[in-house]
Amino acid sequence: MNRSKLLAALALASGFVVQSAQAEDLTLEFVVWNYSLETIQDNVKQFEQANPGIKVKVTDYAWPDYHDSLVLRIRGNTPTDVIYGGQDWLPAWGAAGFIAPLDSVAPKGTIEELSKDIAGFALTDVTYDGKVYGLPYYSDTISFIYNKKILDDAGIAVPTTWEEVTAAAEKLKAGGMDKPIIYEYNQELPNFYDAFVAQSYGRGADLFDAELNPLFADPSNGAYKQLQWIADAYSKGLVQSDNHESTIITAMNTGKHAFTIVYTYVLAALNDAATQPLAGQFALAPMPGETHATLGFAKSYVVTAKAAADPVRAEAAWKFVNFMAGKPYTVAKRWAVEKGLGFGQLPLFEDKDVIAAWSKWADVGALGKQASIAKAGTYTEYSSVWSAYFRPLLAQAMVGEAPVDQVMKDGAQRWTELKEQFANR
Amino acid sequence: MWTSNRFPALWLLPALLPVILMTVYPIGHALWTSLHEVMILFPGEPFVGLKNYQRVVASNYFGDALRNSLVFTLIAAPSVVILGTLIALFLRRRFFGCEVVRSVVLLPWVLPGAISAVLWVWVFHPSFGILNGILRDLGLIDTSVPWLTNPQTALLAVAAAHVWTQIPFAVILLMAALSAINAETLEAAAIDCRNPAKRFRYIVFPEIKAMIVLLLVYNALTAFTSYDLVYAMTGGGPGTATTLLSFQIWRESFSMYDFGAGSAVAFIVVVISAVLIAAITKTLPSDLFGSS
Repeated sequence: MNRSKLLAALALASGFVVQSAQAEDLTLEFVVWNYSLETIQDNVKQFEQANPGIKVKVTDYAWPDYHDSLVLRIRGNTPTDVIYGGQDWLPAWGAAGFIAPLDSVAPKGTIEELSKDIAGFALTDVTYDGKVYGLPYYSDTISFIYNKKILDDAGIAVPTTWEEVTAAAEKLKAGGMDKPIIYEYNQELPNFYDAFVAQSYGRGADLFDAELNPLFADPSNGAYKQLQWIADAYSKGLVQSDNHESTIITAMNTGKHAFTIVYTYVLAALNDAATQPLAGQFALAPMPGETHATLGFAKSYVVTAKAAADPVRAEAAWKFVNFMAGKPYTVAKRWAVEKGLGFGQLPLFEDKDVIAAWSKWADVGALGKQASIAKAGTYTEYSSVWSAYFRPLLAQAMVGEAPVDQVMKDGAQRWTELKEQFANR
Repeated sequence: MWTSNRFPALWLLPALLPVILMTVYPIGHALWTSLHEVMILFPGEPFVGLKNYQRVVASNYFGDALRNSLVFTLIAAPSVVILGTLIALFLRRRFFGCEVVRSVVLLPWVLPGAISAVLWVWVFHPSFGILNGILRDLGLIDTSVPWLTNPQTALLAVAAAHVWTQIPFAVILLMAALSAINAETLEAAAIDCRNPAKRFRYIVFPEIKAMIVLLLVYNALTAFTSYDLVYAMTGGGPGTATTLLSFQIWRESFSMYDFGAGSAVAFIVVVISAVLIAAITKTLPSDLFGSS
């Protein structure tokens, strides 16, 4: 064989080797909602560099379409390996066999070890039927946010109860502010129900007992009182509805509203000096009410049952989830520092970079205090179905289209029906 | 000898197969689903007959959703056709910048529904929306109107946005119909009749009637099955103020995880749509669906 033939043979052989290696690359299908897609893509790129042989294809949907699109993907057998999970959907997905417990893909003992670092409410949100199904992508609370300057100028103290919120809003209205409260009002978004639960928690209410019986139809329950409070505030002309947090940010920055109740990360956007004219004027106060508790929740990285059933894909999926949410929590820290997203991994509360970044838009002490008294929501296999039924009723009661008493009774009855239906399935 | 007459079914197969795959099978599957209990949370898919239909018709939203859908259709479809006709008649004239105006009129048509929704949410916004700003400047209102969250105004506001998105298509088709009218006929009419309204009624309208009927049918169907704008602008609320039947197909299937009930609503929408088409074509007879 002459030299040229030898070189040609070597080139051919190396081509086969490269092709063979490429053929062995495994591609994970990662499905997300499209919040900060460029950051997601960059995190994925870093994972791929650290894990040769594993590629990750990101598919994104808008947040309002995410849940439906994902259900359709899984029911339609579209390849899907790792997904963003929500605390309200997780039990239903678990019951439907869409997703797998992380213990089934992670090395023995790993999940137990990681769970020790996860905040209580966040761990509750990623657990179904006693098993951990996800690791937190981010974890946040719902906050009562006010405009410091407006309150200072009007000589109003930060309200600590809902009655004080009414009094402050009435004083501002008398002073010329048409709608002092701006309220995220979109009955199709889970946020709408979450915000209501957070306010009820502020009053110290539980919406369900330990046996999952509804308590909120009792007029002495804090949730009942809170719905009545919202309806009264609307009837007094104190509240302006807004159907999305993105427009609440702009509206609060017009200086025409003093109070709102939104996810805490919205505070970072409200106080973003680069984009908002009134940045720096906004602060969070403890949720009004007797206990000041609020709702805490976690969105998570979850592995599908189909991926878990294939040992090779399961191993790759676990590596990916562990990279995104496991120790040393680099990706969770990045979200916190760059985007102001909360986290479920407790060690990050002591991270200097996180504290420095968050100090720019919030009182970190107040934030930590709120997180420490935050409570998880009640999520069952049927709670998202029930929530979809209950949210329009809540919306009607708030604007006076339906009596509070009837709405609470209807909601409790539907919950009980679903509970029995699910128990008898 | 091979001719296409010898094996008609075989020759039709390439055209029939996609129709069967893309239309007949999905419709058949949806019908099957509507007659079974198909809930993600519960195992099995037992046959339940017409139970899904009974349940959705007896549900607390059905009456409101049906009424809203019919009102929405009655507002939107004629508005699109009337405004589209007026704009098409205007745009046929030659004036300075007419080409630019014609292009701008088409703009809403090329915008995706979600973008149109965001745009209109900003127009109607009580804190910084342009509509409230104009009305305040004109002294017509003292305080902002919450167009999208007030049960009395929400449906009208969504209908206005829907009409805006549909007008360009109507304008294009009507301009095409208008340009097909014989120029000499129009010239003779202009000499014989000085009244433009009468000229439109007796000369122009009969010539474009088939197109108007077509647009009425198309817009009635588009409005009756409208989903994206409502979802993005109001989420069907407040309460059931903007809940449309087509929206309930999505809610039953994806919010309630009940695909059987969702399919039942879909078939009810299909039946009502068929009745609408029949009603329009009977009320406004034209040669549009006439036998050749």
